[in-house]
Amino acid sequence: MVIEMVHISKRYGQLHALTDLNFSVKQGTVYGFIGPNGAGKSTAMLILSTLLEQSEGEAFVCGENVRKNPKAVRQSLGYMPDFFGVYDNLTAVEYLEFYAGAFKIPARKRPALVADLLELVNLSHKADAYVDSLSRGMQQRLSLARSLVHDPSVLILDEPASGLDPRARIELREIIKQLRGMGKTILISSHILPELAELCDEIGVIEQGRMIASGPVRDISQRNRSRKQMILRTLSEEELAARILDECPFVSQLNEYVEEFRFRFDGTEQQKAGLLHELIAAGVDVVFYGDAKENLEDVFLAITEGVGG
Amino acid sequence: MESFFFNPILVKEMRERFRSKKTMFILGLYLLIMGGIPLGFLLMDPVRASALGENRSLFLLSASIHYAMVCFVAPALTAGAISGERERQTLQILLTTQLSPSTIVLSKLITSLAFSALLLVASMPLYSIVILYGSVSPEQMVQLVVFLGVNMLFLGTLGLFCSTWIKRTSVSTITSYGIAFCFIVGTGLLFYFIGQSLQQAYPEQFPNNEVWNLPGLQMLAGINPVVVLFGILGESLADIDQLAFSPWLFFSCFYLVLTVVLICLSAYLLKPIRRKWWSWKKRPNRVN
Repeated sequence: MVIEMVHISKRYGQLHALTDLNFSVKQGTVYGFIGPNGAGKSTAMLILSTLLEQSEGEAFVCGENVRKNPKAVRQSLGYMPDFFGVYDNLTAVEYLEFYAGAFKIPARKRPALVADLLELVNLSHKADAYVDSLSRGMQQRLSLARSLVHDPSVLILDEPASGLDPRARIELREIIKQLRGMGKTILISSHILPELAELCDEIGVIEQGRMIASGPVRDISQRNRSRKQMILRTLSEEELAARILDECPFVSQLNEYVEEFRFRFDGTEQQKAGLLHELIAAGVDVVFYGDAKENLEDVFLAITEGVGG
Repeated sequence: MESFFFNPILVKEMRERFRSKKTMFILGLYLLIMGGIPLGFLLMDPVRASALGENRSLFLLSASIHYAMVCFVAPALTAGAISGERERQTLQILLTTQLSPSTIVLSKLITSLAFSALLLVASMPLYSIVILYGSVSPEQMVQLVVFLGVNMLFLGTLGLFCSTWIKRTSVSTITSYGIAFCFIVGTGLLFYFIGQSLQQAYPEQFPNNEVWNLPGLQMLAGINPVVVLFGILGESLADIDQLAFSPWLFFSCFYLVLTVVLICLSAYLLKPIRRKWWSWKKRPNRVN
């Protein structure tokens, strides 16, 4: 295992930020951390990045204990925080050279390394631009290049796409996919769950400092299959359809959108067919009736339902 | 050691500082104040200005202004060194590199001091006017430079310590000025009040102002920069006949030791995970 957290707890006085957190990430895996604000994702990432001491438990990166051997851990991981600043009066090249120096990379190797990194994050054309003059998306990509300067095997990316416009987000996602192709182990947190679904091999759902589900995306989805979401699309008679769905004892969490209804169906296949029959018999023009394509948001909502009262 | 002086923080800080127009502006303003005030006094008092080699007050005035400028500039240059990184949200990233907290602290101190030293060196030619007019010995000049250098180092380290200890630059700057005030004025007042109180309480023991020769009071006087500065300038403050030791040497040793202590404390405070052997050893190992 490249990343391992064993019985990790973190307390700030009376506040429990993390409670008995256990998870591990295999080499070359992209592991997504899902959870609402304040769930403890950043705290866990700070502990792994040797920036915060846990109250209990042990954490390991590439087999090194983060508390007892932080120097070795820092050499094997690249960390990108959710909020970060840049230095004024430094160009993109100087910025990366500074961090290359901070990782004790010999001066003669730095120019080629910096050029490669800028090319990887598509910023070669901004090599001599001052860092504070770059757009937020470019700064984010530059920060990703910065975290790769010492060729770490593990990357910890805390909300890397926060505050980015859709184009910048897509560009960043493509770079992360490239890094996955290079065999990097990536721990990533994001609020944008569909984005994680596309990137991640495994996810961990964290809520109120506790890991409530962890494993491959498909396994977690299957565990919640009985809570399948369904979609109904009609051409007309939306009010009638809404009433029938509302009265059906197997339907819950009914939501009406512009073109469709989404709801949870807790009955058998036979009962599902019965509901469709009832809708058609009532004169509703059904154009689609079936299972919703499951996404990470549904999984997250299903898993976290009822957690924390 | 060679690698330390080529460490990336030194290079980056130098680049950042000397690329800024603000740096040249500060240097210009500093020299204007340092040169303008003594020159103004000379122009206002033409009688004295004509008396070459006899105007000792010009040396006193220049040295006092220089000292005041050091007290003003040195903490300001370092009080934002670490807290500024924290406010810019670059400190966490810096701490995940292979640079140790002590390297970061020392590099920040050296770059700030480099600028302070530039101010000190750039203003030295102004003393040529002083030497021309005042009867100042080369030994006094050397002592004055050492005294100002030690003050710059100590006050810079004090600012750096506050910057590491306190999160916000504004609070850190005010705190470092406050602590500096305690050293500059507080020790002097303490010296005076204790001396006066002892003399009034035990007049039969100290009939002829002998209270000021007590070792404790002399040491207190030795750590007060104003007393030491006037000692270097050949002036006497209060009723001290003569200190039993070389005041500027004692002063330098005391503040150099304090500087080392503050550097060590700053490096310790900067560590994201501070090592506590006793707590680690007692912690039950729950792995596996």
